[in-house]
Amino acid sequence: MKKKVLLSIFIILISFLQNSCSSKRISKKIIVASSGKIESLDPARANTLKAIQLISSLGDTLYELNSNGELKPKLASEMPIISKNRLQIIINLRKNVFFHDGTSLNSNAIKFTFDRFKKIGTMNYILGNKIKSIETPSEHSVIINLNKPSSSLNGLLTSVNLTPISPTFYKEYSDKFLNEKFVGTGKYALTSFSNEVQLIEPNLNYWGEKPLNNGINFVGYSNSSSLFGALKSKQIDVLLSNSIDDSQRNSLNNLSKIKKFKEGNSPFTELSFISLRTNFYPLNNRNVRLALAKSLNRKLISEKVSYGQRIPTRSLIPPILKKDYQAYWPKYDYSEARKLLQNENYCNGNILRIPLTYRSNVPADKLIALTWQEEIKNYLKDCITIELNGVESTTVYKNLSLGLYTAVILDWTGAYSDPEAYLTPLLSCDEIVEGTCKKGESVYSGSFWGSNKVESLFLESENISGNKRLDKLFEIEEIAANSIPYIPIWISSQKAWSQNNISKPIFNGAGIIQLSDLELINE
Amino acid sequence: MSRNLYKLFNYSLLKISLIPLMLWIISSLVFILLRVAPGDPVDAILGSGANEVSREILRSKLGLNESLTNQYFSYINDILHLNFGLSLSTQEPVLNIILKSLPASLELGFFSILSAMLIGFPMGLLGLRNRGGKTDYILRIFGIGTYAIPPFWGAMLAQLLFSVFFNISPIGGRFPVFEQQPQITGFLVLDSILTNNISALKDSLYHLALPSVTLGFLLSGIFSRSLRVNLEKSLKSDYVNAAVCRGISRKKVYLNHALPNSLLPIITISGLTIASLAGGALLFEVTFSWPGIALRLHEAISQRDYTLVQGIVIFTSLLIVTLNLFVDILIAYLDPRIEY
Repeated sequence: MKKKVLLSIFIILISFLQNSCSSKRISKKIIVASSGKIESLDPARANTLKAIQLISSLGDTLYELNSNGELKPKLASEMPIISKNRLQIIINLRKNVFFHDGTSLNSNAIKFTFDRFKKIGTMNYILGNKIKSIETPSEHSVIINLNKPSSSLNGLLTSVNLTPISPTFYKEYSDKFLNEKFVGTGKYALTSFSNEVQLIEPNLNYWGEKPLNNGINFVGYSNSSSLFGALKSKQIDVLLSNSIDDSQRNSLNNLSKIKKFKEGNSPFTELSFISLRTNFYPLNNRNVRLALAKSLNRKLISEKVSYGQRIPTRSLIPPILKKDYQAYWPKYDYSEARKLLQNENYCNGNILRIPLTYRSNVPADKLIALTWQEEIKNYLKDCITIELNGVESTTVYKNLSLGLYTAVILDWTGAYSDPEAYLTPLLSCDEIVEGTCKKGESVYSGSFWGSNKVESLFLESENISGNKRLDKLFEIEEIAANSIPYIPIWISSQKAWSQNNISKPIFNGAGIIQLSDLELINE
Repeated sequence: MSRNLYKLFNYSLLKISLIPLMLWIISSLVFILLRVAPGDPVDAILGSGANEVSREILRSKLGLNESLTNQYFSYINDILHLNFGLSLSTQEPVLNIILKSLPASLELGFFSILSAMLIGFPMGLLGLRNRGGKTDYILRIFGIGTYAIPPFWGAMLAQLLFSVFFNISPIGGRFPVFEQQPQITGFLVLDSILTNNISALKDSLYHLALPSVTLGFLLSGIFSRSLRVNLEKSLKSDYVNAAVCRGISRKKVYLNHALPNSLLPIITISGLTIASLAGGALLFEVTFSWPGIALRLHEAISQRDYTLVQGIVIFTSLLIVTLNLFVDILIAYLDPRIEY
């Protein structure tokens, strides 16, 4: 009897606490959560997905990519006009656009933004030496003079790092970062900033369509479990999945299927791959690389590690950038892998030992490595042994170009939406000696692979455009697929989940969620 | 008495004189360990996509091209001038970052110790009162159990239970995201009181409750056990028997004779616990997204932000050394058995 009374008191107490203490919506603002914190709102410094997400709501780029990956003018009034020799790009700007500080957008603001990014931008290498100068012939017209023709500049014009900022407001910060403020032209203006929480409210003087909500509160949690729990307990309205565990992604995906949440997906743009060191034994042998590529069961890895949420791929270029999807890279076929290894005198007592490095702070990497190791134990035990080696990602990046890793699991998301943004960082090389890259991008990706043919195709692709250019880029991928300096594993997308009283999150072609389209629907 | 105070003063001076030596050893160790650790802040800032030219430019901008000896002497010189430098990743003064995050850790630490004492002491007293009984055994198991629970697991369990399942506590953070927090000292509870903002006080306590009570609960075992053991020892001592024989009431014997003497080791334990919490309860701050100094240190290490890691370690070391010094002096003052 006494126990029953105590139990009843406990239940009543919990019910009371649930009713009195649970967080109630006292604001009509939408709470969007993701992992980590924002160190800086300076577009010249932003390099995390979360910062880029927020800046894209506070500012507008000259152009944007729609969900089909097509270029659309935003602050520009029309598509860029490219001169016949492809060395000059004319961009006409929209009129009557104002920054949050009340000053108007003009060609000087564009020049100021580009020059500042070139000078102090942490990611200014994406511009390289492409831009020679920027002219401002009139208030609303900008001419970009190039050092050499570049077909990827359109992609760069959509880069959030080049979001125009007010030259008046940033006058004192032309050569240094301004981390805690942002003055752009976007649909929202920043009202409060701390590393953990950022508040934004609709910009009443916005030139375009107004946001469908009364503002967004951005909050960062330091771990995946907190994010998952916060969405499930309705303490947040929208969850961005930038680093949520695969099991939790799967659980939320299942809950979305039974209408507990709404799920939005970005285009698949994040590539995971294994980089093979092609300039050193044993992976300097193409047949060994081919055998390894054929021993990788992508479908199994996708199902076991990501519960099928990430798509197995045999291409370095994401599907959204490759209309007629062709997979050039070797298919999984362990019996062929065995034959290849036998031809190279492995198996029959001679076991090929492959040290496989994975980033210890990326849970999916370890699971990929373990699944591949297990698959090889099941079917090719007498031919290959995979030795696992977990290293923290910062250390991996530092050591990649030193050639410390025989095989290493990495990922890559293009800085802009173009096949070139995936091929150049992985395949291009500045100095090739007997098929080995001595200096260039493929050294920094850990493969040390170089091909003179690929370099000439890269050069050719810069002088042409449209489908002809795409064909050249696909040819580059085909050549690489035959040499196998990398093994593509899967391609992933960003996901976002919202509560049922909020509209479904929608991503644009660059993988950025349209915060202005989020709407409270059951007020 | 004045003679004693003079001796105590000398003793304190001796202890204080060791602080610079300790800090020099700590700061040099941090400097060496960070440089020996693999990885580079340039890679952490630029990621794997940057070319060597950009890396070199940034490396030189951050002063990482200088020789290690030059870097070391400039670092020690800066510390002597209380200049912790700029964070490599944010270019913000390190001292500002520390001063922004430290109040969160101290607030959590203070309320956790308070919870630990409020839970632990009554349990220790209850156990002693029922010495050898069922309650005593249960409380002993509780004490050892709470001490043995891994903090990250305890924190996650509490979060799952109270924030997700019962939904009676916020999942993380220090303040509701839809409200402006009072900003005077950085201690939100204190700031809410100073600004007479009852709603902010409620909100900050509501956010503080789960992490501090959970951490307090996990720490309470050690307080409960040490009070139980030391009080039992005191109660068996001659001076307590003498007091009982003199006819002093049991309550007075407990409160005036046994308890003050049994508190001496607890002061040492409390001092050490407070000192360790001043440096932040790392796993708690990560689990509850508590924006304290330990979470900041964790991020700085993963970003290889040398200056920030160095600054935080030296600052917290100074704090810990000072707190330990304070405890040593207090014990020396209170305990007549200690010679100095």
